[in-house]
Amino acid sequence: MSEAGAIPAVRCNQDALYEEAAAEYGPALERLAHAYEAEPETRRDLLQEIHIAVWRSFASFDGRCSRRTWIYRIAHNVATSHVIKQRRAKGQGLIGLEEMETLPDTRSGHETADRNQDLARLMEFIQRLKPLDRQVILSYLEGLDAASIGEITGLSARYVSTKIYRIKEVLARRFNPGRTL
Amino acid sequence: MTHETPKDRMQDIWQCQPVEGIKMSVEEIHSRAGKFEKKVIWRNVREYAAGAIVVVFFGLAFAGTHDWLGRCAFALLIAGTAYVMYQLHRKGSSRRMPEELGTGSSLQFYRSELERQRDLVSNVWPWYLAPVVPGLLLLAITSIVHNRQLWHVAALVFWYGLIAVFFVFVWKLNARAARRLQRMIDDLGAAEQP
Repeated sequence: MSEAGAIPAVRCNQDALYEEAAAEYGPALERLAHAYEAEPETRRDLLQEIHIAVWRSFASFDGRCSRRTWIYRIAHNVATSHVIKQRRAKGQGLIGLEEMETLPDTRSGHETADRNQDLARLMEFIQRLKPLDRQVILSYLEGLDAASIGEITGLSARYVSTKIYRIKEVLARRFNPGRTL
Repeated sequence: MTHETPKDRMQDIWQCQPVEGIKMSVEEIHSRAGKFEKKVIWRNVREYAAGAIVVVFFGLAFAGTHDWLGRCAFALLIAGTAYVMYQLHRKGSSRRMPEELGTGSSLQFYRSELERQRDLVSNVWPWYLAPVVPGLLLLAITSIVHNRQLWHVAALVFWYGLIAVFFVFVWKLNARAARRLQRMIDDLGAAEQP
């Protein structure tokens, strides 16, 4: 039993879980926030909102899924809510990966070896995608396999596999036109 | 010459991108969680400020009218506006318990967000438009009772016609948004787990 004024055990556990999660997934959450929000100030707010949601959620984390799945689900869900709100406020349209495949690439000719330029274009590309396509491509870029992506997103394994195949195609065409898959 | 495949090259570019390394200590999280709650409360206050202004306006009109029919009309308008604000708050609020964000998949969450928005706009008559209609009609009747001249009645018909057109426009606009949201929900069906 905790003494009066002492921090309850559940709160300590919540804090400890959060600290571990922030240390392990902090950079990934920052990359995720960047993929959902281009404007730096708003992005910091979004990242803060994600961190707070993760911390709060650990009060009820029961281990039914892995901690990684839990954290990514929270991060994507908070960010998706943000995108829906922003889109409503700014009237922005989002497009699917399939539609993105048909859009012309605005790059000027030859293959670029500049990683920063590629990253900027990749970010711009992701920020235009619909939430579910965005979740799949971000999970893929973070190095998650199809099963893990399915667990986070709830998408069928077949659907995720198809999406990953398309993502590879689109990335190859846009960023490595001279190379094969 | 590199032997990178597009896959590992893009993953590498992504994972090695510079990040600010923003860190939040537990103390900072505790403090910001409290501040965040206050921010949400103030955001809600701002959202309902327009409704509050309308209620104050009708309240002043109510106080300045000594005719019982006119008072009834303004009271109905105040009640109707308050009801609309309450429904906006009830239906429009997307706040969820933190555990809900982690237990359901992203797809379930996205679907429920789209369904909530679709339900909000699919039929705006009962909760957004109709509540102010009794007050508006009674206000028109009050006005006609006090002034039955033809030009006055004609002016009222004109203004109320404009209001009716505006209501139909709002209804159609929302119905179109509901259809768009429904199409987005239908598209999710193919992606769901068997």
